[in-house]
Amino acid sequence: MPVLLLLWATGIAADEPSVTHLEDESHERVPLNTVAPVYPSVARRDRIEGDVQVCFKVDREGRPFRIAVRTSTNRVFEKPAIRAIRASRYQPLPDSQPVPAIKTCRTFRFRLVSTAGD
Amino acid sequence: MIIVRLLPLLMLLASPADAQAPADRSAAVPKTVIGPDNAYLADGAAALKAGDAEDGVRLTERGLMSATSRRDRVAGYSNLCAGLAMLQRYDEALQACNRALELDDGHWRSYSNRALVHLKQERYPEAERDISTGEQLNPNSRTLKTLRVMYRDAVDPVSPSIIIDDRRESEADETDQ
Repeated sequence: MPVLLLLWATGIAADEPSVTHLEDESHERVPLNTVAPVYPSVARRDRIEGDVQVCFKVDREGRPFRIAVRTSTNRVFEKPAIRAIRASRYQPLPDSQPVPAIKTCRTFRFRLVSTAGD
Repeated sequence: MIIVRLLPLLMLLASPADAQAPADRSAAVPKTVIGPDNAYLADGAAALKAGDAEDGVRLTERGLMSATSRRDRVAGYSNLCAGLAMLQRYDEALQACNRALELDDGHWRSYSNRALVHLKQERYPEAERDISTGEQLNPNSRTLKTLRVMYRDAVDPVSPSIIIDDRRESEADETDQ
């Protein structure tokens, strides 16, 4: 398995993360394209898990702005979380509807699931 | 291809001077001097570093035939172990590593090389033992850290999972002031 060895050696995870999106009905803005963050290879290598909550506003066109980390258990996850928010989109609002002043927050939970039994 | 990919993990000793413990190295010992006492060992190490495992093994074996000092023999057997592992001749690699460790049981590079051989042969308890011993001898070795990751991924593989939680009950939202 030389390819796997190379991946191990460079600390790059070979597998794509599984993504679960939890939502409720309480949000003013409807997600259109939710981008999942990359699991940082260093965290994957060192088996670090963590949570990051990012808060932001959404403009009329559905683009997030004023993106800021609100809470974080490990800084290694912050940049991927911010990048994911920046790349995500919400449904645009019609001109007749005012843009809500409320901030939206999203929590990313980075987890490593054992696959030994697979 | 396999050889090139294995090479970063195998600990090659460029010269007998490198066989010393890090604390023993003095600034007066030029690290770039390659095997002044045994040209075959030096050339073998150079060939292995360049990824030429067959030539590296051949030259190292030849060098070991005339190696007299313990330091040269430890370096030679450790390099031979690395070269044989590059050629996927794991049983012979193991024997070479064992010879190196019989001569010097504090030689962390040989523990590192042997750990990789054990991993390739799926002998995980033995690999773990060698990684631990190597870590005790040289806690800062990046190679041993990589081997530790390889070991963990082999015995307890994990897959990344990301939960995107947009629920308000997670106290996610706040009003903009």
